[in-house]
Amino acid sequence: MRKQPTTRRQGAGPGPAPGRTPAAPGRAPVVAIAFVVILLLGVVAVVLTRDGGSAGGATSGTAAPGAEETRPVEVSGSALPPFDDSASSDPAVGTTAPELRGKSFDGRPVAIANGGTPKAILFVTHWCPHCRREVPVVKQWLDSGGLPSGVGLVTVSTSVSPDRPNYPPSAWLAKAGWAPPVLADDAGSSAARAFGLTAFPYFVLVDGGGKVVARSSGELGPAALTALVAKLKP
Amino acid sequence: MSTPAVTLFLALLTVGAQLAVAVAVVLALTGRRWPAAARLRHGLAGVVAPQALQLAFLVALVATLGSLYLSEVAHFTPCVLCWYQRAAMYPLAVVLGLAAWRRDLAVRPYGLALAAVGLPISVYHYLLERFPALEAGTCDPDNPCTLLWVWRFHYISIPLMAASAFALVAVLLLVASAAGPAAGPQGGRDPAALAGAERT
Repeated sequence: MRKQPTTRRQGAGPGPAPGRTPAAPGRAPVVAIAFVVILLLGVVAVVLTRDGGSAGGATSGTAAPGAEETRPVEVSGSALPPFDDSASSDPAVGTTAPELRGKSFDGRPVAIANGGTPKAILFVTHWCPHCRREVPVVKQWLDSGGLPSGVGLVTVSTSVSPDRPNYPPSAWLAKAGWAPPVLADDAGSSAARAFGLTAFPYFVLVDGGGKVVARSSGELGPAALTALVAKLKP
Repeated sequence: MSTPAVTLFLALLTVGAQLAVAVAVVLALTGRRWPAAARLRHGLAGVVAPQALQLAFLVALVATLGSLYLSEVAHFTPCVLCWYQRAAMYPLAVVLGLAAWRRDLAVRPYGLALAAVGLPISVYHYLLERFPALEAGTCDPDNPCTLLWVWRFHYISIPLMAASAFALVAVLLLVASAAGPAAGPQGGRDPAALAGAERT
């Protein structure tokens, strides 16, 4: 390949280097027009958003009066190890699940305590698209009687972030017609960490004696939900 | 400007970039068959080509500044795929800026290469946002790539903004390539020769 000359004209400023495109005389001011268009679009954007508005990420609506998206949570017992979906066996299975005591969005007490009925605990977060897809699936599965009698289902809303899409979670779940009890996790996601959450959506099955039966993360269809809760023997 | 204003501004620019790319593609395809389209294409190329490098720099610069605003001011945390796109867009702004200053059309293959790397990543990221099941059925609790920070006009998200910018940069570099009158010994074709080639 032929080497290009590298000499420059003296005092030529930033003019074209040898072998470069010379400035075209009398050309249309395309760049100037582009600048003007950009400025105009900026003005349009400012005018159209004068009265506020969101950053464009979808919101889930307005929370009900008195609702709080995070609430203090009391955790007792030992935390479960972080869930590894790719591991052949789950070391948490057979261990005692931690217990949670907190409140729902509207301040009613919610406890996820050991003993009593076997239960499925579903951890969701408002900004996760998989959770947003899973909630209606689970709702339909519940409505069609998918949950065996004698088994409870409780939800934990966690990892709440006002900056993220589909906030607030209380409005999202209300809009989805979500009927199961919801425990609002605290701002530090203590409940999620206690149960070893590593991905959303997250299921933990706990038997009547408080032992972990199974854990699962990711979207589950109706058949997979039925197969999962079948591991609980009420 | 507030964050909603900036995201709307970037979305409006995205629509403009998409229209420009669409016009270029349509004229490129129809120009081979219809003389009127070919004339229009040459007319537009004649206007845009001499400043295509500067325009490409402007596109990359706005995309870079917009990206920095969204992460540093609006605090939309970039995910892994965002960083891959940044790795292609940020050098484009620097390299095209230097090339525009020097009017150095030799930058075209390098700019096109960066755009060719960034565009498919942006498209994949956008598809992931629209169809989260493509990647996995789960969300990383920290910073998943499926997180939809911005959603404008029912179809524009941040990766689509980036894809549109990459596409427009590529089109502008190709236009500069096709119509640059003195692109140097290694590239560039004379527009008159091109017009002649089209007529044959």
